[in-house]
Amino acid sequence: MTNTATSILVVDDEVDTCRNLADIFADLGYQVATAHDGNAALEKLQSSRYDIVLLDLMMPGMDGVALYEEMKRQRPGMVAVLTTAFPNHPRAEESLKAGVWRIVPKPVDLTRLLRLLDEAAHLPFVLIIDDDADLCASLWDLLTEQGFRVTFAHDVRSATELLRNDAFNVVLIDMRLPDGDGWEVLRMVHQVESQARTIFITGHRTELGPSLEGSDREAADAFCYKPFDVQELLATVERLSRLRSN
Amino acid sequence: MDAEKLFARYRELQSYLGWSPDDALRVQAVESVLTPCLPSLIDDFYAEIERHASTSKVIIGGEQQINRLKQSLIRWLQELLSGPYDQDYVVRRWRVGWRHVEIGLDQVYTNVALSRLRFGLLGALGQAWQGDQQGLVATIQSLNKLLDLDLAEIEDAYQTEHWSRHQRDERLATIGKVAGGIAHELRNPLNVIKTSAYFLLNARNASPEKVTEHLQRISQHVTASDDAITALSNFAKMPLPTLSPFSIASCVQDVLETERLPSNVQVELDIVPTLSPALGDAAQVRIVFGNLIRNARDAMASGGRLTISGRAVNDGVEVAFNDTGVGIPADQLGRITEPLYSTKARGLGLGLALAKAIIEKHRGTLRAESELGRGSTFTVQLTAPSSDERNKP
Repeated sequence: MTNTATSILVVDDEVDTCRNLADIFADLGYQVATAHDGNAALEKLQSSRYDIVLLDLMMPGMDGVALYEEMKRQRPGMVAVLTTAFPNHPRAEESLKAGVWRIVPKPVDLTRLLRLLDEAAHLPFVLIIDDDADLCASLWDLLTEQGFRVTFAHDVRSATELLRNDAFNVVLIDMRLPDGDGWEVLRMVHQVESQARTIFITGHRTELGPSLEGSDREAADAFCYKPFDVQELLATVERLSRLRSN
Repeated sequence: MDAEKLFARYRELQSYLGWSPDDALRVQAVESVLTPCLPSLIDDFYAEIERHASTSKVIIGGEQQINRLKQSLIRWLQELLSGPYDQDYVVRRWRVGWRHVEIGLDQVYTNVALSRLRFGLLGALGQAWQGDQQGLVATIQSLNKLLDLDLAEIEDAYQTEHWSRHQRDERLATIGKVAGGIAHELRNPLNVIKTSAYFLLNARNASPEKVTEHLQRISQHVTASDDAITALSNFAKMPLPTLSPFSIASCVQDVLETERLPSNVQVELDIVPTLSPALGDAAQVRIVFGNLIRNARDAMASGGRLTISGRAVNDGVEVAFNDTGVGIPADQLGRITEPLYSTKARGLGLGLALAKAIIEKHRGTLRAESELGRGSTFTVQLTAPSSDERNKP
């Protein structure tokens, strides 16, 4: 993990609104980038990572919801805050279904917005490493619902990249991955992210057998067997997320 | 509605139909014969109403309401036969029409209902008639005049009330649209002003440059808010154009320079070099071109080509703005020049309305063609100056 400032991408077709928010956020120590339409925002995403995206609903071309849907496909770990002058617009409601974290009515109440950003920046961050895309999507919904920030990786390579760039509270690791095995990932988590708590996911209890004899450092903090007991998994993530000392 | 005016109008209609005191006497003479038939007439009338969905739907109070309605219908028929046909009588007829609008009864039912009552009344009269044929015909004619006068009154009331309600609704809708447009257009600059003020008040590390930048921004957006209000109030009182010959090509150039289109929009100019000047108010035409070019830009959010072509036509000059943007659905194409009508996320919806108003004051035309998903073409036609005018500076 790297210990950088929280980064925010502000997307609004009102150039001056963008600039002002950027100045205010930067003054508070955030790293800020701005974009004035959906395509520009997606381009920014190619070269940089952001913790939070603050996006306007009504924009020419791609609207805020369509943009977020695309962003989520590429970077599910970004926390999205939608601003809109029309909080009752049907699209605003759809944004929540798409996974937007909070909606802030325009003109924005800055005190409230800044409090939300601070909250978003400190959401316990969960990484799911599993090649099952549907499982990842379901866990994303379940865990964000519970107040977690969630991202996922389907293979060791992309998991490695995420672990290098972000600080995670809890990492869920599938035993079998297309380009490696869970133990390899577990070792890496402990190397780069010593504070993170780990949960091992497996379909077979016996898979874990021999490795449990390894050193304590290599062992996961918890084990989860497929099919999950969802309640139990959520409770475990919850418990472990509180253990990480920030 | 003024009762005296209503009565005066009724008197006028009476004389138009040739209504005389003799008519009144003839109707009064059969009052006692017809009165006993009224209850059965009315029962038949309401039975018919209940058979039809479009008439029965306005009766929402059940049996009780029907009884009340029967009472008032009886009263109406009794008054019809007895008179006097004075001011109060007319006002009561007027109220019937007013009431029909209130309950949402379709006007055609007033006609057919009266026709049915007329049929019943005349039938009863024919059966009870003791005198000669000539007397019967005269009485039928008197009754018909009376019924037609009532119908005219009720319909007049219906139309007047219906129209005034329609206007009230339109007015409210317009106020709503204007308010929405202003709110939309002012909210953005106000939001910028508010956030700049927040920065100035709260920033911990504001450099002098940043402070100046935010103060300037506040000033700019106060101007932008003011402009939005001015645009709206100016819309109604656009000054008459001062017509003089001007070059289409340089007018288009001027606008393109101020609009600064994004790099993903390609601009292609296809203006005949020998194109004769157009006659118009260059400053106002720039507003028109500016609006058309901005619309084209907005229609091509993900890039495209804007072709601006100019050529001579019959007795004038034609400039076409063709974009490869999203296009306008056919059902909206007719409405786009309505003031405050907008299909865009931002804006008051005045651009095309203003363009149209300006071009009309130039005695020119603004034409729109569009194909959904393909793009739109807006064509402005202006007159060319006469040879005298062309020689003016």
